[in-house]
Amino acid sequence: MASRDVVRYETPLTRGFRWFSAVFIALYLVWTLLPIFVMFVSSFKDLLEAFKIPAVGDWSGIGVFFDFTPTLKHYRDLFLNLDFSRYMANSLVAAGGSAVISVILGSMAAYSLSRIDFKGKSDLFFWIISTRMAPVVAVMVPLYAIFRSLDLVGTLPGLILAYTTFNLPFAIWILKGFFDNVPYAIEEAQMVDGATRFQAFMAILPLVAPGIGAFIVLCILFAWNDFLFAAIIGSGGAKTLPVATRELVQPQNIQWGSIMAAGVVTTLPMMLLGLVIRRYLVTGLTMGAVKE
Amino acid sequence: MARVTFRNVWKKYGEFAAVKDLNIDCPDGSFLSILGPSGCGKSSTMRMVAGLEHISAGDILFDDRRINDLAPKDRDVAMVFENYALYPHKSVFENMANPLKLRGQEGARIKDRVTQAAKLLEIGHLLERRPQELSGGQKQRVAIGRAIVREPKLFLFDEPIAHLDAKLRAHMRGEIKHMQRTLGTTMVYVTHDQLEAMSMADQIAVMHEGELQQLGSPREVYNKPVNAWVAGFVGEPAMNFLTCEITNAGGKLMLTHPDFALALKPEQMKCLNGAGTAATVRMGVRPDALAISMTRPAEPAITGKVFVNELLGGDMIVEVELADARIRVKTAPEFAGAPGEACYVTVNRDKWHAFDAVTGKAFF
Repeated sequence: MASRDVVRYETPLTRGFRWFSAVFIALYLVWTLLPIFVMFVSSFKDLLEAFKIPAVGDWSGIGVFFDFTPTLKHYRDLFLNLDFSRYMANSLVAAGGSAVISVILGSMAAYSLSRIDFKGKSDLFFWIISTRMAPVVAVMVPLYAIFRSLDLVGTLPGLILAYTTFNLPFAIWILKGFFDNVPYAIEEAQMVDGATRFQAFMAILPLVAPGIGAFIVLCILFAWNDFLFAAIIGSGGAKTLPVATRELVQPQNIQWGSIMAAGVVTTLPMMLLGLVIRRYLVTGLTMGAVKE
Repeated sequence: MARVTFRNVWKKYGEFAAVKDLNIDCPDGSFLSILGPSGCGKSSTMRMVAGLEHISAGDILFDDRRINDLAPKDRDVAMVFENYALYPHKSVFENMANPLKLRGQEGARIKDRVTQAAKLLEIGHLLERRPQELSGGQKQRVAIGRAIVREPKLFLFDEPIAHLDAKLRAHMRGEIKHMQRTLGTTMVYVTHDQLEAMSMADQIAVMHEGELQQLGSPREVYNKPVNAWVAGFVGEPAMNFLTCEITNAGGKLMLTHPDFALALKPEQMKCLNGAGTAATVRMGVRPDALAISMTRPAEPAITGKVFVNELLGGDMIVEVELADARIRVKTAPEFAGAPGEACYVTVNRDKWHAFDAVTGKAFF
């Protein structure tokens, strides 16, 4: 593989553009990171300290933000009194379960769509992705009716099924592209070596690992951050973190401290997941294996 | 080891017939090369043997056993792919061990066999590496290693050395042939390179547009091509073709061309029987059956002009311009003719061919 030198020459225009980019990125970072920072810091503050804000234009008063005694009482409250450990487990099971089921079914479907030619294949493929075209809200009412008549409302299996319904088309769509890039010869070699079709399929899975990794992240993110399904289908027995957090907003009492702590608890696992899986997202395993 | 028989084999993709009524018998332990340009059906043929494609009609037999309906894993063949098809996420050792592992061999035996095969192919020091860390030639050896660890009934090689550079290719030709002779395993070797087929095979099956043109030893295919297409495909530099007339001069047949006339030998006349006289034929003559000189020789010669000289080290190819065609002549590198100069080309009267001008079928 030839590495390429990107040749750039300085002109007043590029210099100006570079300054502009730097400023833009700085503003963008403040815009995106500041709310997270406020959330993180506030979750360790007592309610009174959290609402200490300097006057508009008083830049020297910025130190007020950092002037507090850290406390873990919101977190204690969350896990000891508000049962957040159960909601967290619900979120994990719903997101993870749906991801696993979608990957298993999705990879097999994607492999078939990638390898086997049959009548109506492109129509089928289009139909699969078209199920994602309607907004979730549009199908919520019929979906709720179906789930209720099957006694799935308020259960984790019901929530997993709901997420899988929406993740599976996505899995098939993403993974088909990855399977298309795996040369047929590799699984043909497997089959001549003595593998069954299924063994050959299993053998090429490591080659689509980047795709599977990318999909798992997206699938878990979708389920983890989802509010609509969780509020309607999971309500009651299968309450997840976003729904539980929403319930901290009560008419007579908004529990800001706990909300901030819940925000941190909801955000951190996804950040960790992103760090762990990043490796898979960037490795191109097939490189150099097959002569083009 | 097995004898492979193709019996009226067809391969159709929808309406298109990629392989038409193929009949080949490849004896146990022999080296069969399937030769043809791309799209001639040679790869389809091999893939049908491997079980990677269905056989549309006809039968393929291993030792008189019909294998049409067996899955690839039950055919006991080993295949080397054009693009090597190594498993990129596995080490060389794991790649080579794969067929044994899939067949449930025990660890110690696997290690034994792989080490042995690696030694034979001189890749013992590479066993821990991954395919992307290997050069083209090394990858190709690993692919062959994966095929030979198992002692299969049959080797299928699909243009295995097409992507190597010329020098390595020449080297691997010898190695593959030697390996096949040593192991004694039947080999089907698909290639588009006539030199590979000529130099390695016991039998060459020349295919064109899905049809088997000729099946024979390399010598037969080279010296007695059955039609103009085979004659033109086999041999480098390619055969020269000239459209000529057969004329009858008092009971003696002559081959006449605007630039020259050549008397036929009695046995050649016999072969032309039925073609009658005043028939148009295509004369085919290989560059090495022609001789060139700058001075007019005693015997009848074709007069032409030197068009260009190509020095190939030990030989020289001279392209000679006639009135309406160009022919190539192989000669010694000492040939001194400069482009544009008049020259004289004589034909070896035993070593030329006549083909039907319409069907291309060889008279002799």
